[in-house]
Amino acid sequence: MAGREKVGRPVNLWPGWYAALTYVAMVAALWCIFVYAPTEKAQGIVQRIFYFHVSSAMTMFVAFFVVFVASIVFLWKHGDWWDQTAMSAAELGVLFCTLVLITGPIWGRPIWGVWWTWDPTLTLTLVLWLIYVAYLMLRADATDARRARFAAILGIVGFIDVPLIRWSIEKWRNLHPEPVVIQAGGTTGLPPAMMLTFLVSLAAFLLLFLFLLRQRMAIARRRYELEALRQKVDEALFG
Amino acid sequence: MSANSAFVRQASAILAKDLKTEWRAREVFTSMFVFTVLVVVVFQFTIGSNPALIREVAAGVLWVALLFATVIGLQRAVQMEGEEDCLQGVLLAVQDRSALFLAKALANMIYLVVVSGCILPLFALWFRVDLTASLPALGVILGLGIVGLSVLGTLFSLIVLNIRMREVMLPLLFLPVSVPLLIAAVYATDDLIDGRTLAGVRDYLILMGVFDVVFLVLALLIFDYVVEE
Repeated sequence: MAGREKVGRPVNLWPGWYAALTYVAMVAALWCIFVYAPTEKAQGIVQRIFYFHVSSAMTMFVAFFVVFVASIVFLWKHGDWWDQTAMSAAELGVLFCTLVLITGPIWGRPIWGVWWTWDPTLTLTLVLWLIYVAYLMLRADATDARRARFAAILGIVGFIDVPLIRWSIEKWRNLHPEPVVIQAGGTTGLPPAMMLTFLVSLAAFLLLFLFLLRQRMAIARRRYELEALRQKVDEALFG
Repeated sequence: MSANSAFVRQASAILAKDLKTEWRAREVFTSMFVFTVLVVVVFQFTIGSNPALIREVAAGVLWVALLFATVIGLQRAVQMEGEEDCLQGVLLAVQDRSALFLAKALANMIYLVVVSGCILPLFALWFRVDLTASLPALGVILGLGIVGLSVLGTLFSLIVLNIRMREVMLPLLFLPVSVPLLIAAVYATDDLIDGRTLAGVRDYLILMGVFDVVFLVLALLIFDYVVEE
């Protein structure tokens, strides 16, 4: 019964040290954000949401970039692994995008006085959310090979659309703060303690993203295996 | 016969077939045109009777109507191809599948040009905007917009051809990706109505041109994967 044992094997997780590292980074980020980092003078305590908001946004772009690259390689090389990567990264990208869209208004309400404004960065994030939610809907039937191909095409089209969306909405009024983390000339507008806190929380978010990505891909692989087994059973039963 | 002229010959044959079918049935055009009129009229009811406000939203209404018309027209065209696996037959006949894509996109452009030609007088009448002076400039903007809508729409319509819920999926995929084109088209048209010239809306025209070229090249590059079996 060798085949049976292979099927029953637990999902291969990342080594324990990776999970531990992610955990430590997340706790360290929380400590930095709420204890170590100084309170910003003008904005007060609410500014601390910056560490979650910007880290989520950067993680979101990393996720959508992974979708883009994995989609290209999938169309080119046809490996299931690349398709699973793209699909898992898209799901996580939507997750982090949702976090950006939730933390943004919470920060914006006390600072700008409004929950929402149609400024370029906000609009871009919302349109990205819509594109990648459509991607997930297209992928609803995850094991269908044709849908995998269609989704890969959308993964490429969607990412190429990003600079065009940004360009088209830049003409609107611009309320969103100028980038402070990296400014023109490679300098930073953040004091050292804030910069360190930001880097720790960004690292925590990226580690968490990789961890979740790996987990999600293991589940996707299981679904493929399950589908293959089902087909085998069907063939054995109905010829 | 060189490969190049075979490509043109096949693309124009498919285009001629589509246009002939459409000329006999007039299904796609009728649904697109009636729908466009409906959108413009329904918007009139929701805006109210303030002439300044009507004028301000006119460009937006025109492009929303054309955007929806694209979706309606493509849905009908895809439905016709889906019946009895017509598309499979065409795919077997062509050597280069991008010829099929190009023909489909061109057919959609022609429908959209005809629809906008028919809707513009009604639009000018109902929204009380004088388009006679800016007609050539408006033609340029409409042209750039129609190319982009058709290229992107055709790509997505052939993607949803074979999946469940295609009527819902087409707008869900197509609308968010077309946002940049829509924004540029609306603002360029708006500026024209306000009396600016083509040179005054150069930025928008460049954006629309880049959008058209990028997605046309991309669509031709990846179209093989859309129809691959």
